[in-house]
Parts: sequence; structure tokens; C-alpha cells
Amino acid sequence: MKKNITFLFLLLIVLASCSKTPDIDNATMLDGDQIYDPSIANPKKYLISDSIVNPSDIQKNTPVIIAAHGYSATTFEWDELRAYADSAKTFNVSQVLLGGHGLTYADFKKATWEDWQSSIIAEYRKLDSLGFKKIFLAGSSTGAPLIINMVKSGFFATQSTQPKGIFLVDPIIVSSDKALTMVGLLGPILGFTTVELSNGEKGHWYVYRPQQTLKQLMALINITRIDLQNGIRLPTGTYMKVYKSKTDATADPISALMIYKGMQTSVNGNIDVEMIDSKLHVFTRLAGRADVTAADSATQKRVFKEMELKMKN
Amino acid sequence: MKRLSILFLVSLMFIPSVWSQSTDSYDLGIGVRVQKTEQLYWENGFGADFTSDFLLNRKIHLKLSYISSRMGSAFNTNAIKQDNYLIGADWRFRSEKSLQIFAGFNTGFFHADMEIPRFNVLPHNSMLFSLETGLAYKFKFPMAMNLSVGYNLINGNGVSTPGTLFPVFYEMSIFYYLNLPKKSEPKNIPSSNTPE
Repeated sequence: MKKNITFLFLLLIVLASCSKTPDIDNATMLDGDQIYDPSIANPKKYLISDSIVNPSDIQKNTPVIIAAHGYSATTFEWDELRAYADSAKTFNVSQVLLGGHGLTYADFKKATWEDWQSSIIAEYRKLDSLGFKKIFLAGSSTGAPLIINMVKSGFFATQSTQPKGIFLVDPIIVSSDKALTMVGLLGPILGFTTVELSNGEKGHWYVYRPQQTLKQLMALINITRIDLQNGIRLPTGTYMKVYKSKTDATADPISALMIYKGMQTSVNGNIDVEMIDSKLHVFTRLAGRADVTAADSATQKRVFKEMELKMKN
Repeated sequence: MKRLSILFLVSLMFIPSVWSQSTDSYDLGIGVRVQKTEQLYWENGFGADFTSDFLLNRKIHLKLSYISSRMGSAFNTNAIKQDNYLIGADWRFRSEKSLQIFAGFNTGFFHADMEIPRFNVLPHNSMLFSLETGLAYKFKFPMAMNLSVGYNLINGNGVSTPGTLFPVFYEMSIFYYLNLPKKSEPKNIPSSNTPE
């Protein structure tokens, strides 16, 4: 009995000593109250629904791609696609900021995955109501299951325009770090986890990941996995391609097979999948990385070009 | 893979005949195993549980099982088809009681069927090694039920080990026991030819 009390006492000390509030540096971290995602201050630069409020017929028929970033990231993740589009001038990019992202640690902590998804839905609705005819979607990492869930939920069936195509880059259906599957048990003990960012990434990703958001992430990918298990049909005429790095420390490459098996076109066809020779998670984002190779740059350009050609057709 | 499955099944069938050579009494249970992996699949199958007096008075149980998502989540769905071939051993606390506590380990082989050749670049085979603990209840009739939780020490990162090899699993087994008594020693029956 005495041993049990001692053990419980020690356990309480260990638990109490675990800090549940991260040490946020407001001057350098997105988590703080000084750095925000730039799309909040300047939505016209990022959202087509804000920049083109009275589209001409030509603009309505120019492809526009809604680009959704991943968990704990910001619009920064798709900056390079926007730069490519600005140069190509054949399509427009609408970079959405997921709900609860790009603000403060407290905002991130209280957001659900449905909140994350709400900004993609809102942008699609706006573009649809403005009369854009060629809407595409791109989702990187967690952006992918958020878009898959929109297909599964029947959201697009309620819109006048069906998406022409969906591109998924390093989608996460299974996490590479399997500790995420134990977040229900370990989360309340840990409170939050921390990620290391390179100098170029600082201010664009949250450093601290509250356990509440990790639970939301786990819930989202688990729901999506089960939905894929049961089969999801794309809207009529919607094309889908998955690009997946063969080596990825964040999104397990098995995610690509799960999507390939689980998604079907409206005419019972298979979707396209390409396994990419890369070790980067979200290989289309090279900005801010310390170790980019010439092969990484070539792959990024090739994939952007392929997306552009697909949108042209 | 089919060869491995057949070999595994044949070895299960031969267990009783091998152990029947023993002069000790033994319990051999055969039955079903139902497993749910945390945040992943149901993987079901069958297994065997063996113990005997020579295994430290039945404190040690030896186990053999085959479970697969083919008989669980992947049945008629798009889930990944994966197979687990397991052998293991448990230590039983309160081995003389109906309700026993056990702790042990499993090892074996895991295979995930990628089905489509382009995905064969992903890791899909692995050795298994897990720790498991739980409760076993022996009914008055020759059946027992095990409930346990386990942890795969080798779990998949998708780079060197299969991505659908998750760490935590819950398991239920129901065994029917072939409780054979100790073989009696041959009696020394006197015969008429025996010299006085």
C-alpha cells in the first residue's frame, strides 16, 4: 500500500512538472501574437474571389485552382505555384488559409478539422457563385484529406460547377510517425509537441502543436481512411491525380495506395497516381528548405507544368 | 505467400500428433482470434494455445496464430490486405485459477499485399515482435477466452517497414481445449508364459 502511494505521488510530480503551456517567442514564431499569415492582411493577393469580384467571360473560363496547405502550415506552402501561375499566365491560384491557421497558438488550439476545411469550402462557394467555370483544387498533406472529405460529403453536388480536377501532393491518410495513433492516451500528458524549423521556415509554420489539434488530425485521417475503405466516387467529369514522395517522414507513402484503391472516377475508372523519387514531404514546396537538390527543383517544375497542361485541356 | 500460409496451416495440424507423444498431460486449445489495431483495421483469424505440466506446471503457454485483414476490414472493401503469422509465449499468473493474468511476447512475419505493381516500391514485408498482456478465463467446460492489449515494438514508418504496421492492438481469443489426460504407463500384466 505504501509503495502504491509513493508511486502515485511520483507520478503526480512527473505529470505536474510537464509544462502544458509552450514558451512562445512572439518576435519569431507564428504561434505568437505578432506574426500572422500575410493573406489575413492582404486577401486580394491570395484569394481570387477577393481579387476578381466581377469576372469577365474570359476570366470565368480561365482555370482557377484552390490550393489548400497542410496541418500547421500557411499559404506559404503554395507560394511557388502562385509564382509559377503568375509567370505562365494560363491559370490563377487561390491560396486559402485553413481555419485556425496562420494566427496564434490559442486560435490553432481551439480549431477543429471542420474549421480547417471551412475556408476551402467558402472559397469554392464564392468562385462558383461568381461564375468561374473551371475550378480545380490542390491539397498538400492534410489539405488532401480535407478535399477528399468534401467529395465524400457530397458538397460538390450542391454547387452549380463541379471541380474539373483535383491534385493531391503528398496526401496524408496514414502518418509516418505512428505515435500519432496514441494521441488519445499520450496527448493529455504531453500537452503539445514541438517541431524544428529551418530559418527559412520560421514564421510560416506553427512550432508548437497542441494535442487538441493532433487529435483533430488523427480524427480527420481516420475518417478519411474509413471512407476510402468503403469507396468514394468523384463528381462527374472530375479528374484526380496523386503525387506521392516515395520517402516521406510525415505522410506515410501507403496513403497513396489507400487513395488509389478508395477513389473512383464517375465512370468507375481509376485515378492517376505517381510515386515521386523524393525524400521531401510536400515536394512542390522548396522555399525555406535548407537541402534542395537540382533533382528536387526539376521535379517541382515538371509537376507544375503537368498541372498547368491538365488545366489547359 | 500462399506456400507460407499452407506451411503454417500444416504445422498447426501436426501439433497434436507431435505432443501426443509426450507422457505429460497437456491442454491444446484451438480457436479464433479477433484483433483490432488502434486507429486501423480489424484483423481476424485462428490460432492455437498449448500448455503442459512440463512447461513449469502450465505457467507457460505457447501460441500460434494467423490473422488477416482479409477476414476483417479488407473483406469486400478497399482496405489493404495484410497477413500476420505469429508464434509466441505467455507467462500465466494464477495459473491454477479460472481467471488468469498473462504477459508474453509474439514474433513472426507480416505481409501487406500491395496488389498493384507500381506500389511494390513501398515496404510490405516485416518481422513482427510484440509484447502482450491481458486476462484469460477458463470456463468450467473446455473453453477459454483471452482479452489482451499488445504493442508492436516493430511498427511501420513507411520507409523501412510497412506503413500499415501500427503499434497498439487489442485482441480477443476464444479457444476450445482438447484436454487430454496424462498417458498411463503400460501395465505389467502377468501372462501365462511368464516363468514363475
